[in-house]
Amino acid sequence: MATTTRKRCGRTGVSDDPQHVPRARDGRAPDVFRHGGWVPMRCYGENDEVDFAIVGTGAGGGTLACRLAEAGFSVVALDAGPYWRPLEDFASDEHEQTKLYWTDERIVDGENPLQLGSNNSGKSVGGSTVHFAMVSLRFRPEWFKARSKLGYGADWPLDWREMWDYYTEVEQALKISGPVRYPWGPKRPRYPYRPHELNAAALVLAQGAEAMGIDWTPTPLATVSAPRGLSPPCVYRGFCTLGCSTNAKQSVLITWLPRALAAGAEIRDLAMVGRVEVNEAGLATGVHYHREGAWHFQRARNVVVAGYAIETPRLLLNSATARYPDGLANSSGLVGKNLMAQSNQAVWGLMEDEIRAYKGPPSLSMTEHWNYQDRGKDFFGGYCYMSQGPLPALWATTQAGAHGLWGDALMRDMEKYNHQVGLKIVGEMLPQKRNRVTLADEKDQYGLPIARVTYSWCDNDKRLIEHSLRFMTQALEAVDARDIWRQEDDTCHLNGTARMGDDPRTSVVNADCRSWDISNLWICDGSVFPTVGGVNPSLTIQAIACRTADRIRALAARGEL
Amino acid sequence: MRLRSRRSVQHFANPLAALDRQAGDPLLTARLDRGSAVRAAQRLNRAAGTLAIAVLFDSAMEHYRGSFHNRAMYTPLVSASLSLLASAHGTADPRSGAHKLRDGIYAFAGLAGIAGTAFHVYNIGKRPGGFSWLNLFYSAPIGAPMALSLSGMLGFLSERVRDNPPGPPPLIFGLPAGRVTAAMTSAGLLGTVGEAGLLHFRGAYHDPAMFLPVSVPPLAAALLAESAVGRSRVRRRFTTWWLRFTALLGFAGVGFHSLGVARNMGGWRNWSQNLLNGPPLPAPPSFTGLALAGLAALGLMEDHPDE
Ligand SMILES: Cc1cc2nc3c(=O)[nH]c(=O)nc-3n(C[C@H](O)[C@H](O)[C@H](O)COP(=O)(O)OP(=O)(O)OC[C@H]3O[C@@H](n4cnc5c(N)ncnc54)[C@H](O)[C@@H]3O)c2cc1C
Ligand code: SF4
Repeated sequence: MATTTRKRCGRTGVSDDPQHVPRARDGRAPDVFRHGGWVPMRCYGENDEVDFAIVGTGAGGGTLACRLAEAGFSVVALDAGPYWRPLEDFASDEHEQTKLYWTDERIVDGENPLQLGSNNSGKSVGGSTVHFAMVSLRFRPEWFKARSKLGYGADWPLDWREMWDYYTEVEQALKISGPVRYPWGPKRPRYPYRPHELNAAALVLAQGAEAMGIDWTPTPLATVSAPRGLSPPCVYRGFCTLGCSTNAKQSVLITWLPRALAAGAEIRDLAMVGRVEVNEAGLATGVHYHREGAWHFQRARNVVVAGYAIETPRLLLNSATARYPDGLANSSGLVGKNLMAQSNQAVWGLMEDEIRAYKGPPSLSMTEHWNYQDRGKDFFGGYCYMSQGPLPALWATTQAGAHGLWGDALMRDMEKYNHQVGLKIVGEMLPQKRNRVTLADEKDQYGLPIARVTYSWCDNDKRLIEHSLRFMTQALEAVDARDIWRQEDDTCHLNGTARMGDDPRTSVVNADCRSWDISNLWICDGSVFPTVGGVNPSLTIQAIACRTADRIRALAARGEL
Repeated sequence: MRLRSRRSVQHFANPLAALDRQAGDPLLTARLDRGSAVRAAQRLNRAAGTLAIAVLFDSAMEHYRGSFHNRAMYTPLVSASLSLLASAHGTADPRSGAHKLRDGIYAFAGLAGIAGTAFHVYNIGKRPGGFSWLNLFYSAPIGAPMALSLSGMLGFLSERVRDNPPGPPPLIFGLPAGRVTAAMTSAGLLGTVGEAGLLHFRGAYHDPAMFLPVSVPPLAAALLAESAVGRSRVRRRFTTWWLRFTALLGFAGVGFHSLGVARNMGGWRNWSQNLLNGPPLPAPPSFTGLALAGLAALGLMEDHPDE
């Protein structure tokens, strides 16, 4: 059977069914750069006690898998999602591509329930980066000490100068295309690739910013503006948040993971981890995972949980034992708490000229002005705002949701689609204990309790949103946009729920992403953020993963693993 | 033809031979002079033509990409085509004396290039961000129209060289033609290096071969500049070879760029998009055109030492 499949896939390029049959097995994994292609993959037996079993292969897990394998550790990385070959599996169809989202059942509540799925979680080898928007920004240095320097949230146990070097490493690894000179913050090395050309929507942002007297910049993006290896330069078709079918996008799937495989890591697709096993001594011994209709157990000397800010706490809570009745790594009681989305409000308007905002990556220009400017704010934290390029189905949904348009009215409104412009923020939301992930009584298809996600905005969140909407409205008015309206309810990204810190009582992991309670259990993804800042998180997640790998290597060298 | 010119170089480079020549048949000398001036002019025609080809195809593709949204965008196509015709005519024309129509066409190219530069500069300046890197990368390329001017100027120089009376070394505006051509070509090379440098920087020098046009031609420019101000009675073998290498590089550039086209999504199968998106195939031969002009300048200086 395996041989037949190999023949079929290898010779004719006819696709198998990656959503139902694992591809990474029998010593080979899909070659993400070739139709029907394969690359060799080292495989471990379930009884092999590997150095690291990593749950999740996204920005955190995928990066860490690569760096650990390159450091010589034996690694098995498991992901619940399929192993795509973008060239053959991604269609230019908004509905087809919903297959990239994590749409398993979850319950949402709170005063401002989150809308989960497309805009915040992915289920693929490569994680959410397979359909992320590629915006690759560094934190403002002060945010790493938000509590002591800016008076809100919590301090990170990390030093920004050290992070600056890891940011550089990630920017190089992803060949970020960014501006020659970045207008804000301390000096940073030149981006490896040059910025992309702006589309008309991005130019509107630029004109608005200039009219408002603030700086703007072409956005640093993880899609290449010139060839790189087997990645062609971006073709500006704008399907980025539905999966890039050209491989211009430098997702984890096509950057860190091929490196991980080459360094000897094994990646298991369609492998849903249901439980982390701990022994009587209180140490993790491996993971139980569901693959091909059955439960399996992979032994490991260390377990890393990197399932993103909902699945990570869910797995830790689902792995409770008699010794750890509140879930693993939860002596602080903080697992699942301090969930932070980011505000994602927008102001939309119509331009006289044709804009065709869907052309190119959705956020080609941006401003971080309100991240770095503290005067004139009545809130803590910051936000950036970016140009937008919603595709037609998303735009129709937005219109239907925001204005209740339907039928003929919606059709007529869609005729203005090519003149639409928008500015959208990524705004900081403050950590609150009441925003949290807990377990519901309901079970999912694997028989595991599903996550209940509770979310409410605090007054500070609301003030930030109001400030941003006011400012962006002025910016659109300044360029003579008409029919301006505010989209007030959106959020994006998920962070927190297993924060890092210096104190076991007030954090779940230390600066090395090692849990305080179980010394061979690590958490390495967006969950470890104590605060979120006003920029998209993936560059920081990857930088933390690189740092964690270096720390693990150093600890191993000292016999402290 | 090259052999002949080399022989005559040796002939004139030898002071005794020069004496001989003065003592010899004045008519024959005049014919020889005229012959070498015409040959130099023809070489300049060829250089101007090579540049015109590059401009013609480059502007055709880029302005097609820009949908010819402004009628003025046809100007370089017309001007470069005329310049190409004039150059072909000049290359085949064994007569001495400037040709009025060619002169006019070349002058037009020179002016059209300058006007184009002004247009492009205006276009860059009016965009948000003004003269920022972003606009230099993606707006109308600031240096491109100058290639048309250069073609015109080389042609114009060619006509001036042709127009010289026999006897003294050919002059352009009272200066030795060889030196003027060398200086101008050197400046043209530097400008073209600037353009290639800017666009290759935009491509992040993702392939090491992209460093070639910013390292080989600058040396050629420096060597030519040295020839323009240095002694005229020396043979510059290294300069000659380096210019030939630069000329070759211009052609090789087309090959490199075609590999670049292949690296875009869909490769050559998707040629109709990738010819426009990929590195411009017609651009590198500008270096060939300028290197040919440099060789013509060297030839002029060797044939007509002015000291
Ligand atoms: C539409 C969209 C646009 C975005 N745009 C940007 C952007 O422009 N810039 C930016 O910086 N960020 C962006 N993000 C956010 C970014 O993608 C995430 O912050 C980042 O990928 C999170 O990394 P992670 O490792 O924590 O989780 P993920 O990358 O989501 O990876 C988690 C992986 O774990 C797997 N997993 C979870 N639980 C289990 C389990 N129990 N067993 C097995 N596998 C499991 C999942 O299948 C998933 O593949 C965007 C996100 C989305 C959805
Ligand atoms: S616009 Fe560029 S990055 Fe986005 S999907 Fe298309 S090729 Fe990929």
